[in-house]
Amino acid sequence: MTILHRRLASLLVLLFGLVWIVVSADRTGSSTAGMIPAPQAGFPAPDFELQTTAGETIKLSNLRGQAVLVNLWTTWCPPCRAEMPAIEKIYNEYKDKGLIVLAVNMTYQDTPAHIAPFIAEYGLTFRILLDDTNSVGSAYQLRSLPSSFFIDRRGIIREVVIGGPMAEALLRTRVEEILK
Amino acid sequence: MIEAFRSLFAPPRHFILPIAALWIGLALAEKRSESHGVSREQLNNLTFNSLIAYVLGGRLFFTLSNLSAFSQSPFSVFSPNPDLFDPTGGLAAALLVGLIYNQRQKLPLWGTLDASTPIFAVLAIGVHLAHFAAGTAFGSPTTMPWSIDLWNANRHPVQIYELFASLVIFGWLWIKKPNPHRGIYFLTFTALTSAARLFLEAFRGDSVLLFGGIRLAQIVAWAILAVTLFALDGLRRESPANAERYEV
Repeated sequence: MTILHRRLASLLVLLFGLVWIVVSADRTGSSTAGMIPAPQAGFPAPDFELQTTAGETIKLSNLRGQAVLVNLWTTWCPPCRAEMPAIEKIYNEYKDKGLIVLAVNMTYQDTPAHIAPFIAEYGLTFRILLDDTNSVGSAYQLRSLPSSFFIDRRGIIREVVIGGPMAEALLRTRVEEILK
Repeated sequence: MIEAFRSLFAPPRHFILPIAALWIGLALAEKRSESHGVSREQLNNLTFNSLIAYVLGGRLFFTLSNLSAFSQSPFSVFSPNPDLFDPTGGLAAALLVGLIYNQRQKLPLWGTLDASTPIFAVLAIGVHLAHFAAGTAFGSPTTMPWSIDLWNANRHPVQIYELFASLVIFGWLWIKKPNPHRGIYFLTFTALTSAARLFLEAFRGDSVLLFGGIRLAQIVAWAILAVTLFALDGLRRESPANAERYEV
């Protein structure tokens, strides 16, 4: 291939590239999520309705307008236990700014009798929800415990943290992001 | 099979895939590094120094850009949590350390890049596998029969497209006869990779969009492709007497 042929080929490739960029532009303007709720950053958070340990019914979509941290946990999971004090601290620090923590216990794979002593042991003041049918675990495609979903005021998941324990600084940076 | 793979390497286990790819890429690159003017030991040291710089640099940049959060809990700096990480900062630190090592060892820049190319090529394969396992870098919704069910929609298996492109690029470069001009090997890899990204980004469902729905990654890939083709042309034009050449 001569130099001229090579240059012509390069120019053609670049020209095709430019045409492809224009042709493949996303006209909808929101390639990330659309309107399909999914447990992934950029998507609307899947809705759920559960009861708390105090008997209160919480529906996630009713909390629109507030920043929500959904944390999936069990009493037997060591990293879940390890990150609870940091979550409690951050909750107390930011609750007046609009942070809500929904700690969803995966009751279907936990021992219900262990939940109340756990709450007392860590002095947890945020809402503890009971998922005894795996409805949230399934909607949030739970694969590892703990799993945390940081949901902004518009109901969009901004960050997902799989595994733990989450460091206090990580919680703080993510919470400040969803409170904006 | 897809579900079994995704379950086996579900986050945070998916991190093992790029690490394994890096190890395999390094082992392959070592086999040919001498022919690029870089000894096995130098390539090893360069890779491990850059890797350490990536890990430490990523944490350092994250800490510096979130100083107020860390000032209230300074011990978080030492947390094993991989989310406390700035990949761009890590990459910048790795590049800087790599360049310093290269200069101190008086290694030929193009030769080092050529010697490292198999690492980059296999690493790309590992990264796409990790994306597939984690469901990140996902495709846009489609009705194509080969779509996969991901994030509650049938989507282009764009991670598989990218994986396939990376495998072809690696395979082609690995069996290709080495060009005697230094830099051609690395630049060919860069040109092919950016061309693949330019094409396949169109099927992504998580693109950052600019005006009129133009995808940012495509603009960046096009610019890299243009610069690479220009550089390839420049290297090929050098007269044999002036060109850096390998002893082949």
